[in-house]
Amino acid sequence: MYKWYALKRILRGVFMYALLMFLFSLLFNQVNEQTQRSQINEQVKMESSRLRNLKPDQLVAWRDNRMSQLTTMYKLDRPLGERVLFRAVNTITFKFGRSTIIKSSKGEQDVLSILMEALPRTMMLFSSAIVLELVFGVWLGLKKAQKPGGRLDKSTSFVTMIIYGMPSWWLGMMLILLFVYVLKLFPSGGVNSVPTPEGFMFVLDRLWHMILPIMTLVFLGFWSLAFVIRNLVLGILQEDYIMSARARGVPENKVLFGHTLRTAAPPIVTMALLSLLASLSGAIIFEGIFSWPGLGNLYWVAVQQNDIPVLMGDLAITTGIYQAGLVFLDLIYGFLDPRIKVGGKA
Amino acid sequence: MSMKDFTYRLGEFWADFRKETSGLIGLGILALCVVVVLAEPLFLPYSDVNGNWRNISYWEDNPQAAPPAWTNLFAKEKSATTSRYKSPVVTDEDDPEFGAVRVYTFKYGYKFDKAPLDIILRAKGTGMLFMNISIERPDGESVFLGQVYQDGLDGDPIRFAVETDARSAVYEFIRNFASDEAISNSDSSNVKPTDIIFSKAGENMLSAREPLKGEYLVRIKIPASILEDGTNTIEDLRLLVTGRVSGVLGTDTAKRDLYSGIIAGLKWALFIGLVTSVISVLVGVMYGIICAYFGGLTDTLMSFVFEVFVSMPMLPILIVLSAIFKPSIWIIIGSMIVFYWVGPVKTVRSMALQIKEETYIEAAKALGSGKWRIIFKHMAPLLLPYSFANMALSVPGAIVAESSLSLLGLGDPSIITWGQILHDAQLSGATLNGLWWWIVPPGLFIALMGMTFAFLGFAMDKILHPKLRTR
Repeated sequence: MYKWYALKRILRGVFMYALLMFLFSLLFNQVNEQTQRSQINEQVKMESSRLRNLKPDQLVAWRDNRMSQLTTMYKLDRPLGERVLFRAVNTITFKFGRSTIIKSSKGEQDVLSILMEALPRTMMLFSSAIVLELVFGVWLGLKKAQKPGGRLDKSTSFVTMIIYGMPSWWLGMMLILLFVYVLKLFPSGGVNSVPTPEGFMFVLDRLWHMILPIMTLVFLGFWSLAFVIRNLVLGILQEDYIMSARARGVPENKVLFGHTLRTAAPPIVTMALLSLLASLSGAIIFEGIFSWPGLGNLYWVAVQQNDIPVLMGDLAITTGIYQAGLVFLDLIYGFLDPRIKVGGKA
Repeated sequence: MSMKDFTYRLGEFWADFRKETSGLIGLGILALCVVVVLAEPLFLPYSDVNGNWRNISYWEDNPQAAPPAWTNLFAKEKSATTSRYKSPVVTDEDDPEFGAVRVYTFKYGYKFDKAPLDIILRAKGTGMLFMNISIERPDGESVFLGQVYQDGLDGDPIRFAVETDARSAVYEFIRNFASDEAISNSDSSNVKPTDIIFSKAGENMLSAREPLKGEYLVRIKIPASILEDGTNTIEDLRLLVTGRVSGVLGTDTAKRDLYSGIIAGLKWALFIGLVTSVISVLVGVMYGIICAYFGGLTDTLMSFVFEVFVSMPMLPILIVLSAIFKPSIWIIIGSMIVFYWVGPVKTVRSMALQIKEETYIEAAKALGSGKWRIIFKHMAPLLLPYSFANMALSVPGAIVAESSLSLLGLGDPSIITWGQILHDAQLSGATLNGLWWWIVPPGLFIALMGMTFAFLGFAMDKILHPKLRTR
């Protein structure tokens, strides 16, 4: 049954996420604790400066007391295994703590609210790019598979190979150079102009800022997607039922989009989403080039400011999205593949 | 499978590969790259670039942010190129000021529209030295540049740069011609000394400059009395006229020659890409075979480990790892391998599951071969060719991953990579200032590497997976 299949897959995803968080917490234990200790020091210093009417020895005693209190609170005095587990559980429950330098636009230092501010921006950029890539990729892939070895197939495959190893962030730099500084058509970066317009103009302004990054992503992405789709569809087009459909006089477009695409859908979706997930993790650099203040740009800022809590929180969220993407992919696969839906063997 | 079989299959493969034009192009570019790497000193204009990329004084004689020399071909106004002069003409003369002097003369033919950025004089001196430096223009005017007096030298380098050391002396020269009004109107910090030296003298030489083309003589006068004393010597006197354009690919804001950086980065790109992909694909193939062959609990456990690695986003983790541990290039390569080996596992495992059931494996078992013998002798040779295409196709990924790390400033500072060049460009706002020669070539070379290996990989893929062949 699909229900059980879905539930099982989701649970496995959650388990994997928890396991990864545990691994990260083990791997980065030392630096995390250093940051925690210096944050405690900072906090105690700040609190003690507010105290009045205390003799020096009282102050020292208070300070030591407060310090050990906080150390116990963050379990820094516990054995290694417990500390790692404690931190992993905190990460899994989205308690990322406070940042050291970076602030959200409202001035909060809570890592979670900083991340939640960046997340929708990344999602907005990439989901629109993904949709466009899929549309172009599927269309071009089908056209390529229709006449394998034809002029269109050969030329587009050639383009695919040429841009195979091109970093999207470099293409972004090039497009900025061309469209922003030479042609002066688009803004060089950011999500909105300053001052931000309101109402309908806000939407237009946002779109205007999104064109260049989306153009970069789509231009690099859909070629390889089309290539993958071509290879998948090529196998299906040789099946007997396609030949019989053509023989029956079914219009070519219906053969392509009806018969072929339906059969090829599960692997296409898998391949497409996998390549898009890969591009999402590569997009970290990409956002920095366009100073698009999403999760990827946050990595840049956190690396430059050496803000460990933000870096860790960002890593956790990115891993979470990646994991969710993998789960989502299997769910769609199961939904599209009737063998899984009815509980048969895939 | 014996060695003979292997060479036979290799020959067969080559016969197929020869028909793939794109594959041959890829092979050609790769061969060219290998030649460049092996004969690197021949291609490097600055032969010590490898240890000196971050050494500021190594590059101090270069122009700053100069475009490539070939841009002159497309420019209406020609910019001065860099030229070096080694052996001056030595004459003994009588000077009204110093008496008997020895004069070292360099001849510089100026035929451009935009003046050089700087004129730099270098020498090695011992003992006590005094030099009077001036330049004689084609219009007969003489510009006094400055005097150098140094004592207690012991083979120490002497450097005299017009841009820094002769500013005030050149302004004195302007005063002879330009009106007081023009001088007070112009912002003196904006005027380059070389612009004045190489332009026609006149009232408005500050505002509207016209180039004065012709032969310029740089004269270095040293009083004969100093040189008579045997302990005072001057050697290795050189003149360097720094052009407004420089080299094959120009220079960056730290005066580094970008062409040298790109050539020196080539070997690292190849090395990083090849080592990462070869090792990780080999590991992945063996992992898949072992999974399939042993089956049972081993398979379950190994598949689980595989799944853990698959569900990690590589680049973010690499970034955090390098931000925290500041690793060397070896550790970066190592950690890339840790993430890349998962690539071929799934396909290899399913292929190995099929091969495992073949009758010849059964026969080998019946003959008493051990499991490792079967794996290495009978299964791996069949599956390895498949991995070649995989290796070629995962090279660009590794190169881009390292460049991305370097772009964030997390690369190994002891080497030169294209990503690091782009990091410096990004940091100094090269896109903002229109220094395209700083951004285009490194990325173009990364893309070129990707293209080369894509050509190779796709061609191999086509041969090894005949189903994809275009009929």
